[in-house]
Amino acid sequence: MEKLQLLNETPIRTSKNFNINNIKIENFEFPETIKKFSNINIIGDLSQITQEVSLIDLKYGLNEYLTNQVKTRANQKLKVVVDNKTNKETKIEFNFDRENLELVDNIEIEANENSKATIIIKYLTCENIKAFHNGIIRVNAKQNSNIKIIVVNLMNNMSNNFLAIQNTVSKDAKLNYTIIDFGGKYSITNYHSNLDGENADNRLNTIYLGKETQCFDLNYIAELRGEKSNINIEVQGALNDNAKKHFKGTIDFKKGCKKAKGNENESCMLLSNTAKSISLPMLLCSEEEVEGNHSSSAGKIEEKELFYIMSRGFEFKEALKLMVKAKFNKILENIKNEELKTEILQEIDTKLN
Amino acid sequence: MKTKLEEINRNIYDIKNKDEYEFKIKKGLTAEIIEEISKQKNDPDWMRDFRLKALEVYNKLELPTWGPDLSELNMEEIATYVKPKSKLNSSWDDVPEDIKNTFDKLGIPEAEKTSLAGVGAQYDSEVVYHSMREDLIKQGVIYTDMETAVREYPELVKTHFMKCVPVSDHKFVALHGAVWSGGSFVYVPKGVKVDIPLQSYFRLNSPESGQFEHTLIIVDEGASLHFIEGCSAPKYNKVNLHAGCVELYVKDGAYLRYSTIENWSKNMLNLNTKKAIVGKNAKMDWVSGSFGSKISMLYPMSILNGENAKTEFTGISFAGKGQNLDNGFKVVHNAQNTSSVVNAKSISKNGGKCTYRSLVRINENAKNSKSSVSCESLMLDDISISDTIPTNDIRTDDVEFSHEAKIGKISDKTIFYLMSRGLSEEDAKAMIVRGFAHPIAKELPVEYAVEMNNLINLELEGAIG
Repeated sequence: MEKLQLLNETPIRTSKNFNINNIKIENFEFPETIKKFSNINIIGDLSQITQEVSLIDLKYGLNEYLTNQVKTRANQKLKVVVDNKTNKETKIEFNFDRENLELVDNIEIEANENSKATIIIKYLTCENIKAFHNGIIRVNAKQNSNIKIIVVNLMNNMSNNFLAIQNTVSKDAKLNYTIIDFGGKYSITNYHSNLDGENADNRLNTIYLGKETQCFDLNYIAELRGEKSNINIEVQGALNDNAKKHFKGTIDFKKGCKKAKGNENESCMLLSNTAKSISLPMLLCSEEEVEGNHSSSAGKIEEKELFYIMSRGFEFKEALKLMVKAKFNKILENIKNEELKTEILQEIDTKLN
Repeated sequence: MKTKLEEINRNIYDIKNKDEYEFKIKKGLTAEIIEEISKQKNDPDWMRDFRLKALEVYNKLELPTWGPDLSELNMEEIATYVKPKSKLNSSWDDVPEDIKNTFDKLGIPEAEKTSLAGVGAQYDSEVVYHSMREDLIKQGVIYTDMETAVREYPELVKTHFMKCVPVSDHKFVALHGAVWSGGSFVYVPKGVKVDIPLQSYFRLNSPESGQFEHTLIIVDEGASLHFIEGCSAPKYNKVNLHAGCVELYVKDGAYLRYSTIENWSKNMLNLNTKKAIVGKNAKMDWVSGSFGSKISMLYPMSILNGENAKTEFTGISFAGKGQNLDNGFKVVHNAQNTSSVVNAKSISKNGGKCTYRSLVRINENAKNSKSSVSCESLMLDDISISDTIPTNDIRTDDVEFSHEAKIGKISDKTIFYLMSRGLSEEDAKAMIVRGFAHPIAKELPVEYAVEMNNLINLELEGAIG
């Protein structure tokens, strides 16, 4: 068994006393042998999906060990080539069960020029098992493409989720990413977007919801190089019990990205007095003619609003669920698949029971 | 069309006196050197032992693995103690002519006459002048140099010296503990309100040397004080080091405002440490202007230990060519109903780099606490760098925490608006930059605000297009 150490380093370090530069996972038992994973369900146009993925070259990633595991031992490889000129939805579901406990997936999405698509990738534990997921998703959004990716983590709290994402967004391309991050004792995500092209546009919306001793470590990095490129990061979360979250968001205006814009908003609802939220919203700027903003907030749920809802006859828990869902609603609106949205809303109810 | 800011006029600050001294310790850092400093300073035994222990800690600690590159700092090339050719004086007339001239040109004696309740002036490693108004002495206020305090108020010093900032905090604090010299000691007794400010001015003249002054201020229950600290040095080709330490104790119900105008020369590594412990119903305000230094790593810190304790930080950094100013603020909320407000600004130009680095930590026991942080960065050209690296660590639910930051250049729309009101483009830009710095300038005493506005002197050139 491999013992994991340091993961998810920030692109720029700050004082180590702040405990945010990386996440240290001690005594974590990493599976040595990766068995077959076959419980996968793909709904959509199968003709555009092959197993012919290209070589992985990540600038960041979670750490060398995890990246190498996907490079050399992936038990699922999927390449999705998008050529459609009209938006079509493809749904890829990975279902963990007693026969399929370990998933190491390598997903590559190539959106050709002027193409449109919505791709949903869902990770779900179907039974009371301890599952392991380590994956890399790469998206290449070529000129004038318009791509929507929705990643949904509905694993249970015994399992562990490690995910590295890397995007390249070219001229006039739009990449709209939504991440629903609910499951995992540890759920650790590295997201890196390269906005290379002029007018490249990337929106990243994330919801996380933690309970018990769950630990989320989100390391989002956007590098803006193209003129008038735009990144918008919106992160909404809630933490109950002893759950913990580290949010590290970096908007990096590189030289030459004139008139680029970057916005980052992170908000955490603390539902218990033992939940912990650490955030590091960074703005790095080597270009004069840009606009960068970030905001970060944390606090408990508004008591007056809660009282108002309860005065209308709702029990405390029901009122709480309503308020959390209301807070998440803006991001959930990005999901047009009603079945998936219902599933997510049900999971919120379950987690807040 | 580019906005061009003049480099700060350093003529006054760059006056070099001959490197004359009574004693200059040999370069480097060994137990023998520490023993020699201790002997020169006539330390009591406990202080000598303290210095030697701090040296041991220094040798064990690593350089920071983050922030600006400090590789050009070579302690083997730095003389940590330079005793000027002057004893401590209480009259400016007794200060040697060349040293007095320097402080005259910096305006210190004049300021003392017009707007200060007391003045301390340090030249290289020792304080050469100290005085305070008679009425404050009668009220029991103590304002003296640290060496005198160690001798005359041993109990007060022993119970507070490097307890707020322990030597284990980081490598340069340990270095400070080993070689500290000079600095100020202030004690304001219970209930005494010092209505006009006290000021200490630190001047480092000697090349390839370091200044390690220690400032210890105790504002007792219900008392209040405004303390101003200024610092400068002429420019030499090799690096100088400033690793001072400021420890502030703001007891229950007390108020302390600590203002700093830092204008070290561009060969200075400013690795200073400042920390305040704030008691129940007490308030600690920091006002900070950071203009000089080649590299600065400066993060004043408030620890809000008492219920209802409050702190505010208002700061501006201005980085020009060759400067890397890594500044910020740290606050730890350690009791109920505490609050903190941070307003930080930075301007970078001509290839300078400004970084705002901070920590807000709200601990489990800090119920009903509030923290609001705002930072703004202005880039004046496309060869400069501006980074914002704030850490927010929230460990309880009953809090109101918000942080916002923005980064950008002078808005074309705003310039256009002002021009439509009849201003020239140059005046419009000058007004915007002064307006940007105004929230900080208005917190400074008038003469410092004027100095700051002079430092931010706009010159515009080129044509619209």
